[in-house]
Amino acid sequence: MDEKSMAKLSLLCSLTGLAAIYAAAMQVRPTMTPIASLNDEFVGLQVAISGQVVDFYEHPDGHLFLKLKDDSGGVVSVPVFARVRSELGEPIEFLDVVQVKGEVKLYGGEHEVIPGRAGDLRVVHTAPVKLSGLSRENADVPVKVQGTIVEREILGSGSLLLTLREDGGQLLVFIPTWVIEDGLPELHVGNVVRVDGWLQLYNGELELKLKGASHLQVIEAA
Amino acid sequence: MLEALACTLLGVGLGTFTGLIPGVHVNNLAPLLVGAAAVSGLPPMNLVAVIVAMMMTHTFISYIPATFLGAPEAGTELSVLPAHRMLLEGRGYEVIRLTAFGCLGALVLSAALALPLSLVFAPAYGFIQPQMHWLLLAVIVVMIALERSRSGILWATTIFLLSGLLGLFTLDTNLVKGDVALMPLLSGLFGVSVLLLSAVHKSNLPKQNVDNPEPLELRANVKALCAGTGAGVLTGIIPGIGPSQGTVLAQLATRSSGMRDFLVGVSGVNTAKALFSFVALYAIARPRSGAAVAVDQLVDKVGLNELLFLIVVALVAGGIAAVLHLKLGKLAARHIGGLPYREICLVVIGGMVAMTLWYAGMMGLLILATATAVGVLPAVTKVKRTHCMGVIMVPCILYFAGMKDAVLSAFGL
Repeated sequence: MDEKSMAKLSLLCSLTGLAAIYAAAMQVRPTMTPIASLNDEFVGLQVAISGQVVDFYEHPDGHLFLKLKDDSGGVVSVPVFARVRSELGEPIEFLDVVQVKGEVKLYGGEHEVIPGRAGDLRVVHTAPVKLSGLSRENADVPVKVQGTIVEREILGSGSLLLTLREDGGQLLVFIPTWVIEDGLPELHVGNVVRVDGWLQLYNGELELKLKGASHLQVIEAA
Repeated sequence: MLEALACTLLGVGLGTFTGLIPGVHVNNLAPLLVGAAAVSGLPPMNLVAVIVAMMMTHTFISYIPATFLGAPEAGTELSVLPAHRMLLEGRGYEVIRLTAFGCLGALVLSAALALPLSLVFAPAYGFIQPQMHWLLLAVIVVMIALERSRSGILWATTIFLLSGLLGLFTLDTNLVKGDVALMPLLSGLFGVSVLLLSAVHKSNLPKQNVDNPEPLELRANVKALCAGTGAGVLTGIIPGIGPSQGTVLAQLATRSSGMRDFLVGVSGVNTAKALFSFVALYAIARPRSGAAVAVDQLVDKVGLNELLFLIVVALVAGGIAAVLHLKLGKLAARHIGGLPYREICLVVIGGMVAMTLWYAGMMGLLILATATAVGVLPAVTKVKRTHCMGVIMVPCILYFAGMKDAVLSAFGL
């Protein structure tokens, strides 16, 4: 076979192969994957997931470690490394709904979905719930609330108990000492703050316990 | 001290193993060593010594299968063709000497430059990264334009685009897991295609000239060595730029076209990149290779002391690896001459097919076959095989330009 014919044959084989690869790639493109279905078979593959932030931790180096939960009931870790986080135009908050595209990896026996760049994350912010709508039945439920500090009490152990009020409703916010020492901003009566965390019953009263300084933001100073 | 030396020797042994066996890479073993750290109770720095020594040794020894078997991997793929051509001329041992010179020279040079350059790494990184897609695009335009004839330019563009699409459809989709697609891609573009054509034309390998190789002159190769080291440093800090793109940059910078210069350059890029992937841990706190990720996991923070330790280990391992490379290469060259070449080619091709099936399944086989078809084109159309690097360069350019998702979406992927 001469070189011209070889070139034509190679080109034909290349195009046919490419078409077959393209058709196969179309069959396996990532669709929205239920978090509960993520298992070892997904490791190394790109997936798209969507879930609510039910926990997050900020590393001193700027990394953000999210836990996302969706309707399937599964929870998965999503590490947003500092480089990716710095490119994100907006902050990610507790209970926000986050859509993530990324590679599934196994770290410490747990599955993680790792976004490679800021464009792999889409954040839908959730609005704070109304304080007047909260009751004892909401114990053990994660919430994001916003209100004005109307009372600030320092407890014997050095902890802080705030009373938030908004639209006629009110809620106690318990801030443990270690959170105060962990860089909590100065809080005064009259400050409007946004707080997130899990509701709990303490002495029969509904209160929100702050898990970390990053779970409280001062929206408006007094 | 003695423990560190013993670990360095262990790393040299492991690197020799990964280097000699096509398809086995340091990245396959490094995570196992990180896992071993947790249960062994060994000081982390000793395991770091194993990983660094393994990585550096691998960069030397991997040129032996690339030269004598035509079995490429990431970093050695561009060396396969000139190395293979020299092997067919009975100059296989000369390739070993040239790559030993390139690897060792670049290691010494980059070790000397590591500290001063680490000071300017962070600002340089910030400046280069946003412009990277333009830099790569310029390299491609020049690469294609160098073909000169109209048909050459047309074929070069076609091959580049075919390779680019192949890379995009396989590396950025869920066809195979992670970076597994790289193996059938590189084997097809730079291995099987070369071996197939060689098997058609040649029945026996000539006796290799082992005893009177052409002398190596430092002065004649110093330009290629410096360019290779420079490109290796660049590729060591910028993510997504492999040794092959670095080699293309180095070639353009030095305007070198000879096979000897090319081999010194490409081996220099590979070794300098390997060392600087560790230096990047100190300078910009980012790992730039699988082995560097493993080191990053073992050490809390790579400070000046840790960096100096890494460099010393790399130099000791590199020195031993160079001697091993020459000895093993000589052994291979002495015994490969006169062997039935066509059969060897077919056995190696069979091995690559088996490895592909093992790692990437039937889909890998389709990728290997398509990559082989594309890889045959440069030889039959008489253009440079470098254009096949579109397989990595196109996804890289789209990544740096922030257009990868948009392009994949346009293809419906």
